[in-house]
Amino acid sequence: MATTYDAVIVGGGHNGLVSAAYLAKAGRKVLVLEQRHVLGGAATSEELHPGFTFSVFSYVVSLFRPHIIRELELARHGLEIIPLEASFLPLPDGDSLCRWADPHLTRQEIARFNPRDAEVYPEFGLAMRKMAHFVKSIIDQPAPDIGSLKPRDLAQLLRLGKHFQSLDPELMHIHLKMLTMSAVDFLDQWFESGVLKAPMSVSGIIGTFLGVRSPGTAYVLLHHYMGEIDGAFRAWGFSKGGTGGLSFAIADAARALGAEIRTEARVERIRVKNGKTTGVVLAGGEEIAARAVLSSVDPRLTFLGMVGEEHLDPEFTTAIRRYKLRGSSGKVNLALDAFPEFTCRPGNGPHMRGDIAIAPGIDYLERAYDQAKYGAFSERPYLNIVIPSLVDPTVAPPGKHVLSAFVQYAPYNLATGPESWPEHREAFGEAVIDTIQEYCPRIRDLILYKQVLTPWDIEQQVGLSEGNIFQGELSLEQLLFLRPAPGWGRYRTPVDGLWMCGSGAHPGGGIMGAPGELAAKALLRSRSI
Amino acid sequence: MTGETTRTAGGTGRSAANGTPDVTVIGAGVNGLTAAALLAKAGRRVLVLERREAIGGLAASEEFHPGYRTAGVLHDTTGFREGVADALALARYGLVRHPEPLPVWAATAPGSGILLHHDPGRAAAVLGAQSEADAAAYRRYRGFLNEVAPVVRRVLDAPPPDPVRMTGRGAWPLLGTALAFRRLGRKTLMEILRVAPMCVADWMNEHFETEAIKVALALPAVAPTFAGPWSPGTAANLLLHECAAAGSVQGGPAAVVRALEAAARAHGVVIRTGAAVEAIEVSGGAVTGVRLAGGEVVGTTTVAASCDPRHTFLDLVPSREIPYRLEHGVRHVRGEGLAAAVHLAVRGPVAFPGADGEPVALARIGTTLDGMERTFDPVKYGQLPETLTLDAYVPTVEDPSLAPEGCNVISVLAYFVPYDLHAGWNEAARAAVGDRVVAALAGALPDLTGRIEARQVLAPPDLETRYGAVRGHLFHGDHALDQLLFRPVAECAQYRTPVAGLVLCGSGSHPGGGVTGAPGALGAKAILG
Repeated sequence: MATTYDAVIVGGGHNGLVSAAYLAKAGRKVLVLEQRHVLGGAATSEELHPGFTFSVFSYVVSLFRPHIIRELELARHGLEIIPLEASFLPLPDGDSLCRWADPHLTRQEIARFNPRDAEVYPEFGLAMRKMAHFVKSIIDQPAPDIGSLKPRDLAQLLRLGKHFQSLDPELMHIHLKMLTMSAVDFLDQWFESGVLKAPMSVSGIIGTFLGVRSPGTAYVLLHHYMGEIDGAFRAWGFSKGGTGGLSFAIADAARALGAEIRTEARVERIRVKNGKTTGVVLAGGEEIAARAVLSSVDPRLTFLGMVGEEHLDPEFTTAIRRYKLRGSSGKVNLALDAFPEFTCRPGNGPHMRGDIAIAPGIDYLERAYDQAKYGAFSERPYLNIVIPSLVDPTVAPPGKHVLSAFVQYAPYNLATGPESWPEHREAFGEAVIDTIQEYCPRIRDLILYKQVLTPWDIEQQVGLSEGNIFQGELSLEQLLFLRPAPGWGRYRTPVDGLWMCGSGAHPGGGIMGAPGELAAKALLRSRSI
Repeated sequence: MTGETTRTAGGTGRSAANGTPDVTVIGAGVNGLTAAALLAKAGRRVLVLERREAIGGLAASEEFHPGYRTAGVLHDTTGFREGVADALALARYGLVRHPEPLPVWAATAPGSGILLHHDPGRAAAVLGAQSEADAAAYRRYRGFLNEVAPVVRRVLDAPPPDPVRMTGRGAWPLLGTALAFRRLGRKTLMEILRVAPMCVADWMNEHFETEAIKVALALPAVAPTFAGPWSPGTAANLLLHECAAAGSVQGGPAAVVRALEAAARAHGVVIRTGAAVEAIEVSGGAVTGVRLAGGEVVGTTTVAASCDPRHTFLDLVPSREIPYRLEHGVRHVRGEGLAAAVHLAVRGPVAFPGADGEPVALARIGTTLDGMERTFDPVKYGQLPETLTLDAYVPTVEDPSLAPEGCNVISVLAYFVPYDLHAGWNEAARAAVGDRVVAALAGALPDLTGRIEARQVLAPPDLETRYGAVRGHLFHGDHALDQLLFRPVAECAQYRTPVAGLVLCGSGSHPGGGVTGAPGALGAKAILG
């Protein structure tokens, strides 16, 4: 007789692993099933070229909840975060702007473009950090249930209200407006210089199919400031050994706590009987029984792919069909024979040891978006480049480098259909390299190996529907109690025993670990396992 | 229309004491007249000062070519509040309403179109011929709107909550509204919260198949704001627009003005035209009078300003009298017009195809939602799009007296036309707008071109000079989620301002622009206390 698990977790990405670790920590018998040969989902590291280790998909760690690091003792399991030192913006005219960890240096840099902006910059940061405190309280607990009249839910709403009240009236008002403003409109209220506003505004659009002028993008700027208030950890960092280093540490922690983890075990179906899940079926037919199933894969794949419409009511199915995924970004990974010199600020100084933004102006970014709206990749995209080998010698041979470029926009839904991406992959990669070449003329000569990932490839490789890196757009209508479907923001699903624990659940995507943790805790609290 | 004089000596100097009004209203548009009439009805001595010779502002009927008159720059009268009409007994002054909003003709292809009735029962036959699914979807769409409209209207017709006092006593009205929403049921409440932040394109795509229907319905969502159909938050504009809609006023905006003017005069309101207010005089933090062009000072302790708040605070009130934060906020109110008004004098009939002999007063001409978005893209860069999306109104359908016998007037609001045309506004640019409007119309009315006797093109800067619409914005500031409710800025969102005696009563205040009379009524209410 086969074992019945307390919980089976579909998907071995960082959220699935966090859920597993918390459930195992509470003494439950847990199994994680990952379809690939490697763990981490989109937070993984792979040696794609001999001697070169890449953070294949996501490339920086910023929002990972610090209490999870403590509670799961991830440092003991090998996690090491190396902070980013700067945010570097090369400009086509040969100038550049570098924002440093040191506020004084940053002010000096900004003052070269606009002295007034330099004065306002610290003030802005302070306001953002204060507001980020409020956001933190939202992402560290389950979504409020606005339609519920249960005392417990009302109390939560009231607590949030009180917390909100503790902001001073001006900030409260800014905060309210910020919810629905565009990143550019919001920054316009503070700053004048486009050189400063453009690289600041991009944090509002990363991974989202919206432009910097699209309403709703301002709020995401706050996330940028959240890392800073978490104390022990600096805002943005590389995980040593690549982003996979984080996932592997969580996996080690989970195993140490008693969780089982299987790779190359693709879940084909989530079994449902009389409205209740009884376990999963793997590709190949193996059946695994479980009292609860936690899905860390996206809602579309979970419900329309693994559960099946026949087990869902039509209204819920409609909601899942309406759930927008719309991948809009891609990735280009390069193994380089030598350090790539940037003309505007030569040398491999600290300015290269952070992230490098190709975002020369708001109109540049908006035009990139305009092209993508109608189903074409941006000819001159926004790039976010990192060269982790400068600070982490374990990822490349001495003197050689890995360069990872996050690319936006690359719409999954090309005008010619998503399945035509393979025909456009080469041209897309060339557009990216052409863009880099404008700032780093020698780049082509240095390339030893090149990997181009379109949203189609991301979907094929890690299973993220439409290649959406957040498992669903982080737009207001898909957040909080609306994520992944209206009224289902508390990890439970209409299928009894099936829980959501990935980025498609509150509080959403990014390497946060929060959905995984909150889902596990909600399941434990339900006393159903 | 001739200017009427108050009992003053004329020229400079204060008005005679017995002529001193209790309230001086700036602007004789729909909101100014509404406020004036309501205040006079409550026993106040009211003087209205209108800069122009015509009464009615953007709703005024004006001759644009010998023998041809418009019925206003704005077209839509469905939002005119029944509460205002009732309070002023406007029926007695000639106001007649249709039982429901006028049907809208939508271009489906060059030379063909459909007439979309508001009532889904009447619309079913026409829609069904296009798509059975659309007929059903339209029923569902209207069903949802009918369900939520009473509660949404409650928000639209009440003063907004005090943005800085949302606890304690200030919270009660808010709680009342929250409960009213809650009574709609959890599902409907969630749906409102889901739809509001969406982009109108997504909302339309969830319902309809036929692009022409989507475009025709979506136009009011983008008209009052700097947005294309793919901009998030535009669904909220449509939701609010639809929820506020009642029967159209027979005769269009000009008919609203006629009734309001008659009611106002009957209650003793004195209206002076050709009286441009140049400054609001303030002493000791309180209003003491207004100074007209030419130097005349009208003594008054209360001013109700129906003009754009940016004009009120940045031009009329001495800047030392307003707090810096208010000034900063007002300066950052977003509102740059994106519509040109084009009036055509047409010989012979205007017969839209496919209307089955029914008269067509309103027509919306675009291609697809994507096509509409493409007409929005260039304006972000200060360029004029090649094709325009039209909101056309044929006032002569209801009021043939506006044109010579057998002739017609077509008034068009053409989207999207930038205020800040980088190449500069000149006669050639205006002609280009006119040509593009005629080209789009000719797609629907093939024999039109040869019958145009005259045309008047008012680009956004022209609308600014003529009507005082700051930056050509017809709604005194974008209708965007962050600029609704706490409008124009938090410090004077409840109509009263930090200057004692200065009250706002125009489109720049909640619930915003359009021929509604709502901010006028709420401003008057704030004065009456």
